[in-house]
Amino acid sequence: MKIPDEMLNILYGNYFGYVCTSDGSDQPHITPVFFVYEEPLQKIFFITNEMSKKVKNILENPKVSITVDIRDTKNPFNNEGIMAQGTARITEKGPIYFLSEETLELYRDIYMEFKGKYQAVIENRPMGENDVIVQINIEKMVYWKGTHFKSIKPG
Amino acid sequence: MQKDEKKEMKWIYEIIVGSIPPFSLLPYRYSILLQLLLLLVIGLILGYFFSLESVSLLYGSLGILVAVSWSLLILQLGPTLRKFRAPLSKDENELLERYRGILFHRNHYEALPGLAIFITFMAYLFNFGSDLIEYWLGKDPDIILLLFVSLLIWDICYRMGLGIWTSILALWRSIKLKKLAEKRSELEHTPYTELNYLRKLDINNVFFGMISLLLIPIIQHDGLLVTVILVFFVFIILTSMASAYIVSKVPWLPPDIYNLVMESSFAYMGNAFNGETHVTPVVYIFDGQRIFFNTSKESKKLKMLRKNRKVAFLIDTRDMSNIFQNKAVLFTGEAKIYGLWDVPLRFIQMLGARSLFLKKYPEYTKKYAASELPKAWQLTPIIARILVEIKPVRIIYWRGAKQISVPV
Repeated sequence: MKIPDEMLNILYGNYFGYVCTSDGSDQPHITPVFFVYEEPLQKIFFITNEMSKKVKNILENPKVSITVDIRDTKNPFNNEGIMAQGTARITEKGPIYFLSEETLELYRDIYMEFKGKYQAVIENRPMGENDVIVQINIEKMVYWKGTHFKSIKPG
Repeated sequence: MQKDEKKEMKWIYEIIVGSIPPFSLLPYRYSILLQLLLLLVIGLILGYFFSLESVSLLYGSLGILVAVSWSLLILQLGPTLRKFRAPLSKDENELLERYRGILFHRNHYEALPGLAIFITFMAYLFNFGSDLIEYWLGKDPDIILLLFVSLLIWDICYRMGLGIWTSILALWRSIKLKKLAEKRSELEHTPYTELNYLRKLDINNVFFGMISLLLIPIIQHDGLLVTVILVFFVFIILTSMASAYIVSKVPWLPPDIYNLVMESSFAYMGNAFNGETHVTPVVYIFDGQRIFFNTSKESKKLKMLRKNRKVAFLIDTRDMSNIFQNKAVLFTGEAKIYGLWDVPLRFIQMLGARSLFLKKYPEYTKKYAASELPKAWQLTPIIARILVEIKPVRIIYWRGAKQISVPV
């Protein structure tokens, strides 16, 4: 199913996502991340440190969710956002020079996209040797605006 | 030398008893129970031997019971304070070191109030024409009986003294701690677990005060002594309750996180069940001690929470103009869902939470009230909106790109 425009607008127009992972005992964990969305693949990518709790959790349980939203402290009916649930895959662990040509290509693409989107961050903090790319394969997505809800299953 | 003392943290009487076998061979709690049993057996033998009235035996047993219950309560101080982690604030740490230092001073000041009570009471008993001895033991009791009763009196007076000593010190410590907490900066704080220990010790002292009422039957014929016990009872209960209350008002979050939680508007609540995770934005309130959020009875997150209470709760500032100044705090722990049963039990808390919601999100409340919403979105407490409290076990704090783990 094609992802409707209002959901795409949220995914393209926002910097921050909140990724929820959980370990084998269903103890959830949330971290804010910078993400990019790739429309043809219908996947969300973010970069994180391989030592982070979320990577540890993903290796234990690949099911993750991510919320991206616009918040309005004044009017709750303006609140708008999506929560995507799906399976995470850590593209490559280890230093980047061990990556395959194909992955490096993807990495570079995403890196450039990151760079375009988050100039301020990337400038000061280029991707380190311990960074890995996490991709989320979206299986279900919920959209809300005010009291209005919508749910889809892409793919 | 100093290290040994800190490890020891025992009072004089406990040191003495603890060095006599068989008490020295047993764990503390059993050693106390053995003392109780031994005193009871000696008392009963003496009672039988001197053919005392059964009411005398009853009074004696009651006295022993009081002394032992007091021991059990007050002897938790040492072990509890021994496992106390150092507060992450220099001043608060110094205060608690001082508190421990005085409480378990090597000059054993703790025995002084008890000694004063004992001397005064013995003088009153034997020199000022009190007829309590006759009331307890009959006319012209044997010297052995008198010695045994004196031992019991000492046991009780010594612990009364300890009760006064510990509750005054506790109140002093709580007032000081509260004052120091107001001057904290950045990540300075005393963790929740430690504050909770202090509060529990204070509540132990409240029970300590209540137990003193058991002494009244023993001295019921002496109006003056009954008054003294009542004054003691009121004193211990009031100081301990005041101390527990003050400790409960000491923030368990360091100011950086406290302010972030206080000032931020939104939170993200994550939960998991059967490996599936779920994360959604929520509005929340913080009363300085507790974090609550509201959710619809019909919501997916509540249904998942009912199956698994483990939560992750993230609060952050989101300033895109200066990402490196962004702050976030993640609480992981358990959620407590407030249900119908909590209405009578925690009515004031729930009312307080509701009024904080109205104050923090007036627009929300107005908008919700004005529109014709489906039942799931209405604000009616309990029926449609469920109050959930976050009870953190771990705290992680981010300042810019720096991640800091904060002890709870």
